[in-house]
Amino acid sequence: MELSESVMKGLQTLADPTVFDLKSFTIFTEVAFDSLVSHRGGSVLGHPDLKHIDQTTLKHCHTAATTFILEGVKQNADKSTISSCLEDVKFLNERVDTFYISFQVGQCFVSLIHGPPHITDAEWRLEYCIKNSHVHKVNQPSYLISLNTERAGASSEINFSCTMDQLQDLVGKMKDAAKSLERATQS
Amino acid sequence: MLLVLSEEHKEHLGFLSEVDPAVVGEFGRIAVEFLKKGSNPKIYEGAARKLNVSSESVQHGVEGLMYLLTESSKLMISEVDFQDSVLVLGFSEELNQLLLQLYLENRKEIRQILGKLAPSLPHYHNLEWRLDVQLASRALRHQVKPTVTLKLHLEDGAKRSARVLQTDPATLQHLIHELERALAELKSSHCRRILRNIK
Repeated sequence: MELSESVMKGLQTLADPTVFDLKSFTIFTEVAFDSLVSHRGGSVLGHPDLKHIDQTTLKHCHTAATTFILEGVKQNADKSTISSCLEDVKFLNERVDTFYISFQVGQCFVSLIHGPPHITDAEWRLEYCIKNSHVHKVNQPSYLISLNTERAGASSEINFSCTMDQLQDLVGKMKDAAKSLERATQS
Repeated sequence: MLLVLSEEHKEHLGFLSEVDPAVVGEFGRIAVEFLKKGSNPKIYEGAARKLNVSSESVQHGVEGLMYLLTESSKLMISEVDFQDSVLVLGFSEELNQLLLQLYLENRKEIRQILGKLAPSLPHYHNLEWRLDVQLASRALRHQVKPTVTLKLHLEDGAKRSARVLQTDPATLQHLIHELERALAELKSSHCRRILRNIK
């Protein structure tokens, strides 16, 4: 991961135990992640437990930390990449671990950067259910649909079942979307 | 196909022949209520006091009826088979008819309730869609990039969930084509033959 000199300097300050003791570091990390993840996240500036640190330094470190986090999420960085970057700026092991835990929790906002998962394909299976352990003589056909999706290089599947009527409803709605897409592009 | 009742079950149901047919009718109604909404032990005590019997006998009677109804509905046994199965209990003709009516009136609903117990995947509930067009970004202006955003609503028992997904026009056409093929499969002669013959 390539980081600017300003970000590196900010992270080095964050690693310094004379500026941030362990308690302040933990609080700072939490607030920094919160500020990215939620709208009502508190600010590092004016935080009661961080008042003893120079506000300019605090601001610089906050910018550095959030830039680092966003780069990490953008590139889908794994633990070794994050750890080696932090070790380069002299983060002690326990601080690397604290940071990485928050990083993993914060990865839920990947959707803010990458958007919703993109459907790439659909697979289907037609079944005829004869009986199950609770009801005999079911005699109903049903479909099993699997939608292949992709986001930030990671693929996954959404599986669900539906009856013939429900599948017709699903296809009907998709066709409505396609038709209005066609109309929009023609006008 | 006959229903085979265990000795214990027959014993529990034996209690029903000792009471008024009207009471049996009431027990039947309670049994069906319990199947639909869950059991309520307080009712056993109330009934036991009125009939002057132990609440355990009442509980066994009602639970015996519930089991009789669920087993019969599960196997979807015919009228004749039901009557023959109940014959072994040695009830009066009036009681037999009462039980038969109870079975016939409620079996469809009981089967629906039992069906919800079977293992299943979340099933489709609804699809909402939205058309978006990206016109420009920091890197590139004057674009026309259409995307379709979909919200797929799924239902799993009582839980509802919604997944937001995205796709492009070409993939959307492909999805429609693929799923229409799936629908057409149900109308093929192979499927029709199977649906017709397995009953």
